[in-house]
Amino acid sequence: MIQNWYDPFTAGELWRRIFSFLNLGVLFITLAFGASEFRFDWCERLVGTYLLTTNDTRPETGAVWESGRQTSNAHKSLNQIITRREDTRRSAQSAESFSHLAGSLRPGEWVPLDKDLFKVLYLSLSASAGRKVIDPSHLVWLLNGKTTDRIFCEGQADGVKLYFIDSQNRVIHQIDLKKNAIVEIESGNAPLKVQLKEIEAFAGRIFPAEKFFDAVLKLPTEMISELMVDPDLLLKQNGTIQQVGIWNEAENGYIKLGFEFEYRGENQVLLIQAREWAVWQLSLLLKAEPQ
Amino acid sequence: MTFFLRAISLVRLFFFLGLVIVSLGILSGIFLIFYLAGDLPKLPSPLSRIIETPQSLIYASTGQVIMGLGERKAVPLEMVSKDFINAIVATEDHLFFEHHGMNKLRTLKGLYITLFDPDKVQGASTITQQLAKNLFFSFEQSWRRKFKEMLVALQIEAANTKEEILNAYINQIHFGAGAQGIENASQTFFGKPALELDLAEASLLAGLPKSPTNYNPFRHYDRALKRRDIVLERMAVAGFISHPEAQKISATRPQLHKGRMDSRSGSYFLDALIKELIQIYGEDVVFHGGIRVYSTLDTRLQSFARDALTQGLDQLDTLMGLDPGEKDRPQGALVAIDTGSGAIKAMVGGRDYYASEFNRAMDSRRQAGSGFKPFVYYTAFQKKGVHPGTRMTDKPVLIKIPGAKDWEPQNFEKRFNGNMILKNAFAQSVNTIAAQLVGMTGPEAVTAMARACGVKSPLEDVYSVALGTSAVSPLDMAGAFSVFANLGVKHDPFLFWRVEDAFGRVLFERIVQNKNVLESGVTFQVLDMMKEVVDTGSGRSIRSLGFGRPAAGKTGTTDNYNDAWFTGFTPSLCVSVWTGFDKRRAGKGFCHPGQYPV
Repeated sequence: MIQNWYDPFTAGELWRRIFSFLNLGVLFITLAFGASEFRFDWCERLVGTYLLTTNDTRPETGAVWESGRQTSNAHKSLNQIITRREDTRRSAQSAESFSHLAGSLRPGEWVPLDKDLFKVLYLSLSASAGRKVIDPSHLVWLLNGKTTDRIFCEGQADGVKLYFIDSQNRVIHQIDLKKNAIVEIESGNAPLKVQLKEIEAFAGRIFPAEKFFDAVLKLPTEMISELMVDPDLLLKQNGTIQQVGIWNEAENGYIKLGFEFEYRGENQVLLIQAREWAVWQLSLLLKAEPQ
Repeated sequence: MTFFLRAISLVRLFFFLGLVIVSLGILSGIFLIFYLAGDLPKLPSPLSRIIETPQSLIYASTGQVIMGLGERKAVPLEMVSKDFINAIVATEDHLFFEHHGMNKLRTLKGLYITLFDPDKVQGASTITQQLAKNLFFSFEQSWRRKFKEMLVALQIEAANTKEEILNAYINQIHFGAGAQGIENASQTFFGKPALELDLAEASLLAGLPKSPTNYNPFRHYDRALKRRDIVLERMAVAGFISHPEAQKISATRPQLHKGRMDSRSGSYFLDALIKELIQIYGEDVVFHGGIRVYSTLDTRLQSFARDALTQGLDQLDTLMGLDPGEKDRPQGALVAIDTGSGAIKAMVGGRDYYASEFNRAMDSRRQAGSGFKPFVYYTAFQKKGVHPGTRMTDKPVLIKIPGAKDWEPQNFEKRFNGNMILKNAFAQSVNTIAAQLVGMTGPEAVTAMARACGVKSPLEDVYSVALGTSAVSPLDMAGAFSVFANLGVKHDPFLFWRVEDAFGRVLFERIVQNKNVLESGVTFQVLDMMKEVVDTGSGRSIRSLGFGRPAAGKTGTTDNYNDAWFTGFTPSLCVSVWTGFDKRRAGKGFCHPGQYPV
């Protein structure tokens, strides 16, 4: 084997080369580096400290931040629900009429309604109009008896529903108020510009005025007052009564009577409430007489 | 000399080569740190902020909290049993108090395996790294994710004391059974605060985070105990306890909190409730909104329901000669509804929630068999003027169906009994007479009537509907039979009464409305016949079991005995029970009135 010219010639030179200052220095630095890292974790500390300085500039990503966002979203959603409900409640509580009440509730929205407020709204209607909402004697029991705990209003596409509920949240009475009906109730029986024959609910139950009143006047006096609860409405109306119709269904113990007036060549129908049982008696008389 | 020189040269070469590689590694590491640092998630300060999620609570109708959602109940370290702290440190990271975020030797080993075995990514997570992973990262296994996790761990260590890190860790780890954090876990599994955990309990809990589902003690108690033995061994090795002490504790069997086990049996109900809440309010509100939900669940009835169904199904197993370990065992479902309101008081969707989360009480649709006959009889009574005293003949029946094969229904006993009044035909569940009735009314009228009673499952307008060939759920049946119990008044079944936000402001409130869907007089006639079923008919075994209260109901079985039903009611409670196999059996399934004892 040929010895290279740069190889050490003696063992002493070999040892000198092995333990040269450079070799020992590199070895020492490497070992010191490794040992100090294992002993003091300075690499980890250095990196950790560096990352701390960049913390504020980094994105809020990851499960914990997502959870925070979800919590924030949840609070926003809940606040929206509550705020909308509070607005609806305030709007409903400040309602001055049933039409305001219906207008303040969107379909599916509901609010509790004070009994006193319901009383105020009800009493703002005329006696006959109020009866179309609920019979007053029934209402007395509902509002002044022990059974009704609260009143709930629920908005509908075509009006509002009022639930009288007991302490077990069971509905003990329900009132459905359609928007059209509310307008009719609150407009105070304004006559309709139609003829009786155009209203399907009167079909087959339209009588000439003479025949109708002949029959009415044959009834006992106390029954006549029950038949026409608000005769003053008829007295206020201009024109002459041509025909009278009887509605085809009863509601809350009342049946509508339609009085067709002719005034200056125009026909109008005025609807008034009549007691169901009195109308029934009247119908017997009307059927008994030849047409 | 030459050989010696060569060896020296080789050592020197390897040394410098190694030095270069290490230097390059360090440089690459520094580069990666700078490269990934901008992409790392921001660390919340203080770290305790991670547990500031308000919990949503679900209450039973009887008042107690049955579940907390998104619950993170944080407790300081001082309020946690020392045994648990020792157990979790010994198990998860025994050098936790010595390292600075990473265990270098384990990391190097992990790195080696990751580099040289591409199919594996070796974990070497310290408690700090686990915390970093849980707080910020997905469970995706990649070197990039691991490196980021390590960097975040280093930052966590730099910004917090060991106690703060450990505190955050034990308050956010999952222990299974819906328990997150040590306080919740302690309450869930042992019904006591974390401070009061003894060594046996603490070591059991410390073993759960590794695999909360597999080691769930409610479900796999013995498996959880084996895992606890490993925890005890590590505690002994780490010097927290002596080996004899570990062996002594290993022999004990901690008593689990039974109340919580019961509430977990209501998991089918809770699943259904949470699903409905999410549909209304969204996941964020349900899990992070801190809402209060007042459910209809009656924990006492739920406990009865679960026990009754379990016992009934166990009896069936015995009768059928099935081993407890057998996979294909009959299933069951039960729904109990308050007839006065429609509130669902109890619901069991299967024999074991932990084995199968499929809710058979709501989501499974099975043929009701003769259980459907009350709808048939009511329709005939109402539409055709027949009544319980009407005489009809039990005889072979053939109904011609245009465009299909003629239908020839058979009786259960394969024989015909001649003339009988309808009350008896109903009590004896005579198929041919039910077929004649549906022939009179038409199937459309029957299905319309069932829908009016609240059956929501799709029903086919076919003559065989008389024999209950349309599939329905136990919830359908319980809800619809409640209408009979109420003499025609329907209440839609529901799961909760009220929802409030964390401040008690009402988000939703249930009001109970009566809906008259059936004629009360006709309904009474059917109800009277259903009483007869329980008193003397196909459901009379209920009376023989000693149940003496006023009750009515109807049994039902299907072809090949694959399904068995009983839906019955007292004046206040309507219960529907189904038993059968999840998969229809080709041959004979089973037929045993296992549902009556239930």
